Amino acid sequence: MNLKKMLAGAMVSLLAVAALTGCGNESKQADSGKKVQIEYWHVAAESFGGATVKELVADFNKTHPNIEVVAKYNPDMYKGLTQNLQAAIASGKNPDVVQMGYSYLNYAAENFKYTDLNDAFKQAGDPKFMQDNFLPNVLELAQTDDGKQIGLPYSVSVPVLYYNPEIFAAAGLDPENPPKNWKEVAEAAKVIKEKTGNMGFFMQEYADNWTQQALIESNGGAMLKKVDGKTVAAFDTPEAAEAYQVIADMVKDGSGLHATNEEGFQAYLSGKLGMVCTTIGKRANFEKSAKFPVKAAPFPVFEGKELKVPAGGNFLMIFSKDKEKEKAAVEFIKYLESPEALAKWSTGTGYLPPRKGVAEDPKGFKKIVDENKNIQTALAMMPKVVKWASFPGANGLQAEQLLIDARDIILSGKQSAADALHQTAEKINNLL
Amino acid sequence: MSKNSREALLYIFPAAALFLIFFYWPLLQNIYLSFFSWNMVSPTMKFVGIENFTDLFASAELLKILLNTVLFVGIMLVLNFVLPYIYSFVLGHLVHRWTAFYRSALFLPSTLSLAVASILFLWIYNPLAGPLSIVLGWFDMESPRWFKENYLVIFAICTIIGWKVFGYNLIIMLAAMVAVPREMIEAAKLENASNWVIFKKIILPMTSSTAIYVFTITVVFGLQYVLVPVNMLTQGGPDQGSSNLVYIIYQYAFTFFQTGKSAAYAVITMVCYLVFLYVKNKYLEKKVYYEN
Repeated sequence: MNLKKMLAGAMVSLLAVAALTGCGNESKQADSGKKVQIEYWHVAAESFGGATVKELVADFNKTHPNIEVVAKYNPDMYKGLTQNLQAAIASGKNPDVVQMGYSYLNYAAENFKYTDLNDAFKQAGDPKFMQDNFLPNVLELAQTDDGKQIGLPYSVSVPVLYYNPEIFAAAGLDPENPPKNWKEVAEAAKVIKEKTGNMGFFMQEYADNWTQQALIESNGGAMLKKVDGKTVAAFDTPEAAEAYQVIADMVKDGSGLHATNEEGFQAYLSGKLGMVCTTIGKRANFEKSAKFPVKAAPFPVFEGKELKVPAGGNFLMIFSKDKEKEKAAVEFIKYLESPEALAKWSTGTGYLPPRKGVAEDPKGFKKIVDENKNIQTALAMMPKVVKWASFPGANGLQAEQLLIDARDIILSGKQSAADALHQTAEKINNLL
Repeated sequence: MSKNSREALLYIFPAAALFLIFFYWPLLQNIYLSFFSWNMVSPTMKFVGIENFTDLFASAELLKILLNTVLFVGIMLVLNFVLPYIYSFVLGHLVHRWTAFYRSALFLPSTLSLAVASILFLWIYNPLAGPLSIVLGWFDMESPRWFKENYLVIFAICTIIGWKVFGYNLIIMLAAMVAVPREMIEAAKLENASNWVIFKKIILPMTSSTAIYVFTITVVFGLQYVLVPVNMLTQGGPDQGSSNLVYIIYQYAFTFFQTGKSAAYAVITMVCYLVFLYVKNKYLEKKVYYEN
């Protein structure tokens, strides 16, 4: 008897621990008449548009009595969301609408069973919705190499050149006339260093190659190319090396900063740095934190060459398991991508609206755009947006890391851009 | 089996079961995973034998990672073991005023989380705007790029860990220091022994059991602490300059989604720890004095 009791106690304590550690993946399956319930997964933390998501979902549920959207926040951005999505799909509890990061495009296409949005909109009786309302280069952002529309772009960010007009004035540069090409950037950086003693230029050093891609592709280079149906590295070219070397030379002569991202931003915000090249998504934060008026210029070009900037942000995917939910999901996406909803979303996050005509919409966003020149600058770059290169295959994410390591090698001056890119391209081609 | 020991086994069962399930089963599971190529989603795990290991041993990466790890451990032993040892001796036996103040002042940093400490030091080390660069500027020196230079980055990260761990280790060492019987020291002083002789002949042996404990946690926990600042500040950069056995496991598993390679690194790490514990038990423990 005693023994049994003790055993029972042990079992109970074990069970309690198991229950604590086991993750409860609850999904509400309320079966209330004809009402269709769909799940919306997003990455918007409370400090980054979370309140806007709640507002939009509540508004949609009010205006669509036969559909109920349940929003679910996924911490740790797209990496966290992707991990949760893996678990959910494996156990058959698919969410319906999901925000997916552009850099996870290949990963999502290769690993998940998704709904082709062209089919979904055709089924829902609105086959031309996407083509009528979105620029073709924007639609391409969420297409696979073989042209499948795996999602619809929802949030778009572009890299811009922020500068400190006070430092410009102190260095004798014209604050109203920021550098337009990379030669002018390098010259301005040098003047700032000589005249004010401050650092001239910093390009973001996040754990990705987003701005570096803009640099390379704007000089006529490329990140990836297809050879005999196999994707290989394409940045082992004089164009790419020349573009990268511009930044390395600035660091070498002391006018450019090579530091962690946060250090660079801190330096800019405390008035020690003239120019920062990073995402428009940082605009609201910069404007709020800096003691000087933050100004943004378009991403600089290489003279005589076409500007190409990769899109950051996310697109919406559908993973519904039955037709009814799929239809509701399409309805919800159409609402999220309506000019009014997009205006709210852009205001709440700082992202640019992907759809045509939102900036001119008098119901909200137009007023903000008219008042803020930095947003206008970024919006004007929308026609130049290209796809964020994403390395395919099981080693794709590791290949990306090799290119990040190459950045450290180049900027620290250990090797020239040409040598480092050549070696990295060989390593990556072995992986892919 | 006697009734007594059966009862003892029963008492030990809940703890032992938890220990087996949550410590040893994952270790076995990890060894199993290291023979597969798998990305955590794919329904099929591809068996690749020892390919993960041969890949690792063929790459230049492993050597760099091991060297970095040794450097991390070396610097941390100085900051978190040698320094607290000396400080605790000074605080326990040489300083007689303000001791309560010193104790709490030196302990205070260890109450903050490592994430907070990381952000704090990110600011201190900022090469353009940080306080350290201003101080260096007074001497006409330019601040180095702390988190972007090989080796320097390891030192910088170790100081963050040191800042956090130093106080805790100090308090533990101090407890051992003040537990050394006063009479013994007084007697030595009557014999005209110098502070150095007192330290070497009395303090060192009497505190050796605590010292070996602090030594072990410095190595074992220290490496795990490294994950937080590395993940927050450098992501292993520049060019794997601050990567180490613990971070690389995390990176392969949750950044690259390559569980096989990650598990292979984890196995290597396990072997390293086993070697460390074996050496410690074989050579160091013999010289340690345990009161009971």
